[in-house]
Amino acid sequence: MIKAQINKRLIGANGSFELDVELQIAKGEFVALYGPSGVGKTTLLRCLAGLEQADQANIKFNGNTWVDTRLRINLEPQLRRVGYMFQDYALFPNMTVRGNVEFALRKGSSTHRINELIELMNLGELQHQKPETLSGGQKQRVALARALASEPSLLLLDEPFSALDTEMRSRLHNEVLRLQRSLGITTIIVSHDVSEVYKLAKRVFVMEAGRIAQHGTPADVFSAGQTSGKFRFTGEILALEPMDVLYSLTVLVGNQIVRVVAMPEEALKLSVGDAVMLVSKAFNPMILKLE
Amino acid sequence: MNSLKGQIVAIDSNNHMSLVDVAVGQDVFTATLLETPATADYLQVGSEVTLLFKETEIALAKNLSGMISLRNRIPVVVKNVVRGDILSAVTLDYAGKRLVSVITSRAIDRLEIKPGDPLEALIKANEIALMAGHDDL
Amino acid sequence: MMTYDIQPLILTFKLATVTTAILLIIAIPFAWWLANTKIRFKPVVESLVSMPLVLPPSVLGFYLLLAFSPEHWFGSWLDKELGIRLAFSFAGLVIASVIFSFPFIVHPVQAAFQNLPKSLTDAAKVLGKSNVQIFFRVLLPNIKPALISGTVLAFAHTVGEFGVVMMIGGNLPNSTRVASIAIYDEVESLHYDVANFYAGVLVLSSFAILMVVYMVNRKARK
Repeated sequence: MIKAQINKRLIGANGSFELDVELQIAKGEFVALYGPSGVGKTTLLRCLAGLEQADQANIKFNGNTWVDTRLRINLEPQLRRVGYMFQDYALFPNMTVRGNVEFALRKGSSTHRINELIELMNLGELQHQKPETLSGGQKQRVALARALASEPSLLLLDEPFSALDTEMRSRLHNEVLRLQRSLGITTIIVSHDVSEVYKLAKRVFVMEAGRIAQHGTPADVFSAGQTSGKFRFTGEILALEPMDVLYSLTVLVGNQIVRVVAMPEEALKLSVGDAVMLVSKAFNPMILKLE
Repeated sequence: MNSLKGQIVAIDSNNHMSLVDVAVGQDVFTATLLETPATADYLQVGSEVTLLFKETEIALAKNLSGMISLRNRIPVVVKNVVRGDILSAVTLDYAGKRLVSVITSRAIDRLEIKPGDPLEALIKANEIALMAGHDDL
Repeated sequence: MMTYDIQPLILTFKLATVTTAILLIIAIPFAWWLANTKIRFKPVVESLVSMPLVLPPSVLGFYLLLAFSPEHWFGSWLDKELGIRLAFSFAGLVIASVIFSFPFIVHPVQAAFQNLPKSLTDAAKVLGKSNVQIFFRVLLPNIKPALISGTVLAFAHTVGEFGVVMMIGGNLPNSTRVASIAIYDEVESLHYDVANFYAGVLVLSSFAILMVVYMVNRKARK
């Protein structure tokens, strides 16, 4: 279990602000840190990994004190047994794919684990290539394999899937989920993608300007207000046109364009570019199976 | 969107669904929801909720007789009609509250709807959404 | 009939080799330190390192000569306590060359260290690697081109150095009479053919070294 209380002054794009966070994560839990960029999510991960020092902090992992600024305790990152997947993957350019994964091996672990991970991550054919020859998705798989090769007791994923296309993303999501469950590693993912958070995390901490503004299950957190509608999508208004006594709104939801009608008094409060949530009762949508 | 403030007076639910009765003034509205008190905290008898339903979901009737499956029938008076080619918006007074119904202009003609007419407004239970609290939208 | 004494050439390459070897040992860690340090007087250190780039070699040679001379406290201390005389000796030449070629290796290596993503070091740290392991297995291998070009520049620069050597080495056969001095000396004595011999060897060998480096570098980049 992790118990962390971290306080650090940060310089953001709009002046300085304070990272002031307290969180508790159960062993084997998969949680997400969600929020826009520049609110301190990455700094929080780095403090947990020991790559950055907080001004004032207390971090305990499974009963061991990692950081206690009052007692001047600060365990080196080398001794924390953390698996960290960096935003830029941070693969070692001088080593092959296999070399990168092997480098992560702890003293005394068998190379058998390397073969397993290479197979699991589908890297067999690439294992003798250098990272610079790999695509973004392949690099991410290597980075994940390397993070796992060190047999971490805590896995930190910093926006690991942001550069991928939807299909690759979804495949890696399943992969991570499967691995995380079978290995039971406590995992924290930084993400600003609602669907990713929904899919992976049991619990989400929503961060705003250095603080945890909200936390709970993704379903709780992302259901804005409490409307009993079941069918909700966020989208962006592309066009508003009068249509008879009504208005027609063209809304971009994901990568689909949909049209909905609104009353004039609703439409007049909106303008092109506004973000809206479309809500419908669960009874309305008709379902057509796609072949 | 039409909204009416009310208070939950009864909840009838199975594992997945609930039939929620909400008192609005003298009338009781019924809404079917894919929520239960176990999944939604606000589903409690006595909770204040707001009923939401789209203008296009209100049907209007004059001198309705016979039996009908619709649960939500309320007396209204026509205040104003805005005619369009296909659709028309009818502004209604429901016990001092404003509702709008959008129906076809043909129906306006057939029912001869004009300001001052007393009508019955009908809303299917599964078209009503509930929102916790009385916040104005 | 002129005698072609190859001793100056041997001395030149010996000096360059020893100098480069010493530079590799001290300049690379120094470049790493300079790339990562946050000390306030870093610009002072950087300026000092770069001085040989802008100063006439004779200035540096002059001050080193003064410092090395037995009349100076430093020179006399060396002489009395350690029995070392640096002025007009091979050891003195090595020290002068190390100082003089220092920026040629520090600059490219420092720049290369600074250009490496910080996350590489971070990644190695969380994988449990010590600073020494990180330095030798992650950082150095990834700045190979800069290492090679820095080393070669330092080597070539030592081979070609004249002013400093002239000031503190003089022209002692087998000890400080390196090729560049010998060329000057032979020209002064109007022995153009001997001068031509030394010069020709320097030109060819320098070209060969540079060629090898660029070829190796090209391969390393692939």
